[in-house]
Amino acid sequence: MRVTSPLLARSVWKGPHIVPLPIVRPKQGERVPPIKTQARSATILPNFVGLIFQIHNGKIYNDVRITEDMVGHKLGEFSATRKKFTYKQTKNK
Amino acid sequence: MVFIYGINFQESRLVSRALTSFYGIGPNVCKNLMAKFYIHNTAKVGDLGDRQINSLAEELSTMTLENDLRRQLVDNIKRLRDMSSYRGRRHAMSLPVRGQNTRTQTMTARKLNKVERRG
Repeated sequence: MRVTSPLLARSVWKGPHIVPLPIVRPKQGERVPPIKTQARSATILPNFVGLIFQIHNGKIYNDVRITEDMVGHKLGEFSATRKKFTYKQTKNK
Repeated sequence: MVFIYGINFQESRLVSRALTSFYGIGPNVCKNLMAKFYIHNTAKVGDLGDRQINSLAEELSTMTLENDLRRQLVDNIKRLRDMSSYRGRRHAMSLPVRGQNTRTQTMTARKLNKVERRG
């Protein structure tokens, strides 16, 4: 497995792809509502850790809890867009 | 017999062949290593001086090779799998990871891509 070469990565001068998301700082003892978003290309920033996102996959919104490992990846990587193939028996031939 | 990085090599063996037999040293890294210690392309293991062998062994011990490298590879894939990212899922399903077609010809992916990847 090859690591992505720095030449193929996003330019440094652009910085991470930041999308304005409605993130509210949680107050003590209050539960934070999940953040519903269609911005699959938004980079996960360190301040997202611990929040729950509802990420659109083109059809429904999948719940994803952000962990520390996910920082630097995109939101869309954690919401599958494809259904696994299952064989369906045809009833009437 | 010459002892390099835990393995005995016959003296008639080419140095480049001996080095590339380690997992983690390919032709390119081998070339760099040999250039660093002034070893010519067709040198045999028996031709190396004690000093060269020692410095070579010292250099190899600082690199991640063999089982350490394999473990690193597996850990990287496992991390992707554990956070259930797209790449991790593709590895687990042994399908191409980087957007290649899957209609035909996915032998490489089917052979290699798995969470406990070997090689």
